[in-house]
Amino acid sequence: MEFYDKVWKPQKLVLSNGKVVEEKRSRTPVILLLFIAATYLSVRITGFSFYTIMERGSQFFVILRQMLSPDFSYLGSIWKPLLDTIKMSLLGSFLGSILAVPFAILASYNLVKNKVVLAVVRVFLSIVRTIPTLVTALLATYIWGLGTMAGTFAITVFTFSYVGKQLYEMIETVDMGAYEAMEAIGAGRAYAFLSAILPQVLPGYLSVSLFCFEGNVRYAAILGYVGAGGLGLILNEKIGWREYDSVGMILLVLFGTVLLIETISHAIRKKLM
Amino acid sequence: MIEFKDVSKIYSNGVVGLDHVNLTIEQGEFVGIIGLSGAGKSTLLRSINRMHDITSGSLMVDGLEISKLKTKELRNFRRKIGMIFQSFNLVTRTTVIRNVLMAKVPDMTFWRVLLGVFKKEDKIEALENLDKVGILDKAYIRADQLSGGQQQRVALARTLTQNPQIILADEPVAALDPVTAKQVMNDFKRINQEMNISILINIHHVELALEYADRIIGIRAGKIVYDGPSKDVTEEVLNTIYEGKIPNEMEEA
Amino acid sequence: MNEAILKMYEREPKNWYMKIAIALLVVGLLAWSLSAVQSGNDTGEGIKIAGKIVNGIFHPDTKLLFDFTTSGVAYLLLETLCIAFLGTIVGAVLSVPLSFFAAFNLMPKPVALLFRVLIMAIRTIPAFVYGLMFIRVTGPGAFAGLLTMSLCSIGMISKMFIESIENLDIKILESLDAAGCTMFQKIRYGILPQLFPDFMSTLIYRFDMNLRDATVLGLVGAGGIGAPLIFAMSAYKWNQVGAILVGLVVLILIIEVISSKIRTRLISG
Repeated sequence: MEFYDKVWKPQKLVLSNGKVVEEKRSRTPVILLLFIAATYLSVRITGFSFYTIMERGSQFFVILRQMLSPDFSYLGSIWKPLLDTIKMSLLGSFLGSILAVPFAILASYNLVKNKVVLAVVRVFLSIVRTIPTLVTALLATYIWGLGTMAGTFAITVFTFSYVGKQLYEMIETVDMGAYEAMEAIGAGRAYAFLSAILPQVLPGYLSVSLFCFEGNVRYAAILGYVGAGGLGLILNEKIGWREYDSVGMILLVLFGTVLLIETISHAIRKKLM
Repeated sequence: MIEFKDVSKIYSNGVVGLDHVNLTIEQGEFVGIIGLSGAGKSTLLRSINRMHDITSGSLMVDGLEISKLKTKELRNFRRKIGMIFQSFNLVTRTTVIRNVLMAKVPDMTFWRVLLGVFKKEDKIEALENLDKVGILDKAYIRADQLSGGQQQRVALARTLTQNPQIILADEPVAALDPVTAKQVMNDFKRINQEMNISILINIHHVELALEYADRIIGIRAGKIVYDGPSKDVTEEVLNTIYEGKIPNEMEEA
Repeated sequence: MNEAILKMYEREPKNWYMKIAIALLVVGLLAWSLSAVQSGNDTGEGIKIAGKIVNGIFHPDTKLLFDFTTSGVAYLLLETLCIAFLGTIVGAVLSVPLSFFAAFNLMPKPVALLFRVLIMAIRTIPAFVYGLMFIRVTGPGAFAGLLTMSLCSIGMISKMFIESIENLDIKILESLDAAGCTMFQKIRYGILPQLFPDFMSTLIYRFDMNLRDATVLGLVGAGGIGAPLIFAMSAYKWNQVGAILVGLVVLILIIEVISSKIRTRLISG
């Protein structure tokens, strides 16, 4: 940024009492220019065109209209895959959250003084975080075959990376006073952590895990599309057969479920805080 | 008994914390340590329970050479020494009694610590100590709902629950208003007299130090420049300790 | 022992049965969800494939990785980047009116509620369903992908936008009123400066997420790096999978570092 000020020299303003104030040149034009260039490039590469949207936009609603008249007779065969989806997200969220704890502790600079350990664990966490969940699920189906195991694995990995990062950020902002007091009392590091840090981060940790679970239910429905079990499996099937009224029914049930789970989890999280 | 013999502490950045300190403190003494910020008060206090390591010399507490203790022995040793902090260092999200019970944690089994299940006799002891500092009725309230003075009393009750022989207090009243500060100092005095616990206090407020402590240690740039009864502390002595800066100004800081 | 102390001991809030009930509930839910774990493969086979995958990631197909034609990793990543970028912008444009209509401090309660349900409904439809719908409009390819991304972004973007709007400091408007400003001036100098940093920060964050989620588009042929990745997997070409994954991970890491830098600058000024 110093470079920028050298090319476009700050403007000098002389006040009536003779004092000189330097006003740095605004960065806005450059940012705007970059933004326009990026937009132009993206439009070219993706082939974006308003004309197509105007001309053929109504096609979008063809499937949507069919979905909007859901086939209620299909409801009966939705329950099992729906429960599978919920089970997958529940188990995956639980395992991922538990697994995240030791890693988050090892990634907190106020608990671990060894810089190598910190760096290795942090790099590991961020690499795991970059792998899209869908890719994890796909890879998992090659290892465990089609089924809920693959989905559970993918959700575990996602929850692990998300909760892991949130948790170590929480641990790092904790008040270390009580920990110091525990050390002065003669407690080992594990006991000091359990009695001084855990009570401070536990509500936040549970809240983050629950929040992750909320999102996972939605995610789990997508994962089935690649064969990782649950609602996505029948979604895939019905889309393949173009039975969009059944698709609409599945999505309606998913909507209701997500709404219910979010309401419950919201209420619990409010209590935790 | 605490014995410093030619103790020095040099920090890794070259700052001298303690400079050839020689000192003997008998069981049951009430000692006030005064000096400018950065003079080494805190270092002196924290070297006694080895929250800070010393660089050279010998530091004996009740016949134990502190610097030679191994991790396990150090932890056992620390259980006999209470420590009080300027910022109270409580877990503010939990109840008062749980904060006091933290003193029992080092002696507990792993599962009890993990689940936070305490024995009845420990709870009774914690309550008794809360009674001693006059806040028994606050036992089941969250610590963050108490005033600063009350929080420092919780910390005091926690320390008493350790059954310590020595209490090290690092600026215990610096965060409190003058009236509350006096109340907390009264608590220290009572504990010192009734239970024969040695008390070492780092303190900014010279007047409080002179009023409550029996013995004053003045420290300047890591050296002990005064050590004697508080009644013998004169204007001249204070000038030496505070390098000519008026102590009353320091109090405001 | 003192009478008062015993009395106090008895007064300890007894909530252990509550704790046991919660513990039982959690254990029950877990046991129930454990029945979901069923795998189609025998594990010996799975471990072998896992080995091949790991091997592929550590020995990526360098020819594919450094191929700069339109079928190489570099171009595919660029295309993914463009889909995520434009998708975020279109999503933002769609989200702004939705968010204003869904803000409780600006709209009557029923209207705001209605728009919130609408936003949630938009969020419920999975990406690949949108993908299929848009392919009918645009044909397969990146264009369908970016439209899909834009709809998928609406849920989270409007949620954050609504929060910023509801946190608006209205007192500033009063002082602008006192200075005799017109409606346009009030919006330009009273409201936009408050919203802009929050909005930008949300968009950059969403761009980050879109980049990760863009692989989903490959499932239905809506462009980006997802399709070649899935092809390589189904053909068991683990070295190609490795090349694409390495490229993707590196790109996402770079973008994440840059975007978190920009976001901290935006928030702290």
